[in-house]
Amino acid sequence: MSVKVEVIEGGVPHQKIMIAGLVSTLVCLYLTYLNVLTNTEMFSFFGGLAVIAALIWGSHTIKVLCSYGIGTGVPSAGMIAFGSGVMAMLLATKFGVIAGIPAAPIVATILAAVIGFILGYVSNNILNMKIPAMVQALTEMSIVGALTLMGFSALITGGFTFAGLTTSKITVMGMTLLTHQNSFLGGCLIAVAFLLGAIAIQHPFNATLGPGWKQDRMLMLTAECGFLSMLAAAIMSFAFISIGSAVIALVIAVIGWLYTYQQYMVLSKRDAAAWLDSKPIPDVEGH
Amino acid sequence: MEHIVFGIGITALTGALATVAGAAEDTESNIGSQGDPNSQVQLAPQMGFLHRIFNKAVAGEPPAYGLWCALGAGLAWAFMAMQINAVLAIVLGCIIAVFVQGVYATTAYVGRTASLSKFGQPVYVDILKSMTTVTMAHAFIAIFCTVTLCYLINVALGHPFPLPLLGLIWGIALGAAGSATGNPYYGKERQYQNQKFGAGVPISASGNIVRYAEAGERNSIDNGWFTAKIGGSASGICFGLIVFLELWRTVLFEKVSAGWGAIIVGILMILIFTVIDRYIEVWARKNYGPYTVAKEADA
Amino acid sequence: MSAVAAKPQAGGAINPTAMGVGIVLLLILLALAWYISPGVGFMALIGIVIGGILIGFGTHFVPVGGAPAAMGQAPGIATGVAMLAAGAGLAGLFGGAWAAAAGQDLIVVVVSGGIGGGLMMAITCMMVNFVYVFGMGIPAASGKVAKDPITGDTQAEYKSQGTEGHGLPFVSFVGGVIGGILGGAGGTLIYVELLNLYQATLPAVMQITAAQVMPIAVSVAGMFAVGLFLVNAVLTAYNITGTIEGPHDPKFKRWPRSIVASAVASALCGLVAILIVVL
Repeated sequence: MSVKVEVIEGGVPHQKIMIAGLVSTLVCLYLTYLNVLTNTEMFSFFGGLAVIAALIWGSHTIKVLCSYGIGTGVPSAGMIAFGSGVMAMLLATKFGVIAGIPAAPIVATILAAVIGFILGYVSNNILNMKIPAMVQALTEMSIVGALTLMGFSALITGGFTFAGLTTSKITVMGMTLLTHQNSFLGGCLIAVAFLLGAIAIQHPFNATLGPGWKQDRMLMLTAECGFLSMLAAAIMSFAFISIGSAVIALVIAVIGWLYTYQQYMVLSKRDAAAWLDSKPIPDVEGH
Repeated sequence: MEHIVFGIGITALTGALATVAGAAEDTESNIGSQGDPNSQVQLAPQMGFLHRIFNKAVAGEPPAYGLWCALGAGLAWAFMAMQINAVLAIVLGCIIAVFVQGVYATTAYVGRTASLSKFGQPVYVDILKSMTTVTMAHAFIAIFCTVTLCYLINVALGHPFPLPLLGLIWGIALGAAGSATGNPYYGKERQYQNQKFGAGVPISASGNIVRYAEAGERNSIDNGWFTAKIGGSASGICFGLIVFLELWRTVLFEKVSAGWGAIIVGILMILIFTVIDRYIEVWARKNYGPYTVAKEADA
Repeated sequence: MSAVAAKPQAGGAINPTAMGVGIVLLLILLALAWYISPGVGFMALIGIVIGGILIGFGTHFVPVGGAPAAMGQAPGIATGVAMLAAGAGLAGLFGGAWAAAAGQDLIVVVVSGGIGGGLMMAITCMMVNFVYVFGMGIPAASGKVAKDPITGDTQAEYKSQGTEGHGLPFVSFVGGVIGGILGGAGGTLIYVELLNLYQATLPAVMQITAAQVMPIAVSVAGMFAVGLFLVNAVLTAYNITGTIEGPHDPKFKRWPRSIVASAVASALCGLVAILIVVL
């Protein structure tokens, strides 16, 4: 019952997407640091944009990896990406600021690359998978996982330092108290970010898989998944950052999601065999 | 004593919620055609069998339900942190989680079908319009029940994990239990109704799913009542038993013999289920009999 | 599941050079941990490596049939192996975490977690057979062996024509339960080791009291346990290329590769988890 294997090609080469994704994600993460410089939380939405940039890069990496037919489904690639990414991200948040420069994103990238590289080596050589793109793909996906989680943290709490993720303020009878239980890590919202990212990274390739795969359609779907995740996370951020900043992130997410969703439908209509409403199954010879 | 009675009451309530969640989860995943049986829905057009089935290719059920439940739980947690009432927080959180689920379902259907354009499979917009809300409704029941039972476990029974992490754990467990129990029923019985009952689908018949139904062409909404025949209830019982027995043995026996009481009760339960399973297996062999005459025993 | 045909794998061959490199890597990571944090950190890493090995090895026992099982064409459970194992193991972790919070000692907690995972798999496997027999009228049969290794039941004549088998023969059921026990125990061990480590060291690192650090320690340890669980389960899924009938399946013989792979992956991720409190 095997299906004809079609070589899925076309579009912008993967190297370009990788470099563009890495650079824009890091830039957006550093832009959230403006929060600290201006002592507000208005720039948290850049965390969401970082997530989208990382997801676009990561979904294309999954496409490259899974095109070889790894034997398991596409979702497991997303899981291993974020499983390795969460470790790197949590350790990197400890390197919050070194000599006045926020080092966490760069440290996360390097750490995740090391973890991903070793995992790739283990999969390819010890587990004998022998897929040419495996080591590079797992390295990239690990970095994507770490940076996506860091982007979510920045979006929801306004920063990506360990102290910022483990404390939050609550107002009790007019007094502001520091609490650990209601923080991003204390409430384990990182679990939600983990799954939001893991499903969002593998969905675009999984949902556009097939002989009619087109790169622009898949990447538009990635952007749509990213904005949708940003929407959900922005709602969660109301518990952590000021209402104004959360509203900014929410509005950007809603507008971005509406636009990408509509564009995705347009592209799908372009690619579909037919776009029918209440029509019967077309007759095919012999069936 | 009161403490234990209260614990048992909450355990019973979570068991009931889990049963409903399991049934709704299986119904939802069959209406949307998610998970491993969906591979046939994707294969069929490639073999020339065009259809009007909803093709929801959103990962498998465990990770997908892990996400919806974790998202519902995380949003509920955030709302509660904003001092919103717990019940309202859970409802709002689940509504937003279900919205996300519905969007994922529509993009999956449109995406996969558009990629099968080479085989002439059309995208049916009316399927999108009719199926999406039905699958969202069932998903809401499943997600709401799971998030509520997580909340009860956290607040009333005192489990150390915070609500979002519990949502992740029980969401993945819900998806795994519902998927394991309900998938073969949908895959073999519904999709291959035209094959002989009482036997697996031969490999030569792959892709030849049923596409015509009682009144016109088969659509996925009817999978709802089909699942309710046995698949949904079985999934519900499966997940309900998992949650109830896990909580029951801990609440009642955790303090007995410094924790060993719960372990011994757990081992006993595993043995009981092993006996039941063996009974089912032997019953089938005896009552259904072999397909062919048994060959002479190999040396 | 993917619609792209799986390219032929290198099979069950063991690559001695790579295994050697893996073991050397493992020793280097252990030495690093011993150097950085000789007492509690090193013990935690040993626990995490053992936990990871338990998860990786246990997942080999779980009978997974994938897409063909959903049509009654292959024996096993019709779900992805990584997520089914994760489901069972996480249910076990849930139970183990509760026992840990009740203050039981390590053995009780880990065994409790294992039993939780085993119980979930026992119920799930029983219900799978229930649906196959009473809902679909199909008896269980294996496609890989002529006789069930545990019960001696002959399999060939109970296999319907054109299929590789269906349902869960008794050896697959037992395999599933064992897989659940090992997975649950492994995940709980990782969680408890990290929890103890964080409870001991985070108050000093963050300058807060032990009671205040509890929610963070629990959450971070829990998240690491989930992450490590998924990594190990996916590595095992790669090892068995997606489907396995249970411990009687010839693919089961590939387990040595998985032990080394899980050990290296768990040691690496565990070291990262320890560095959070040490650096």
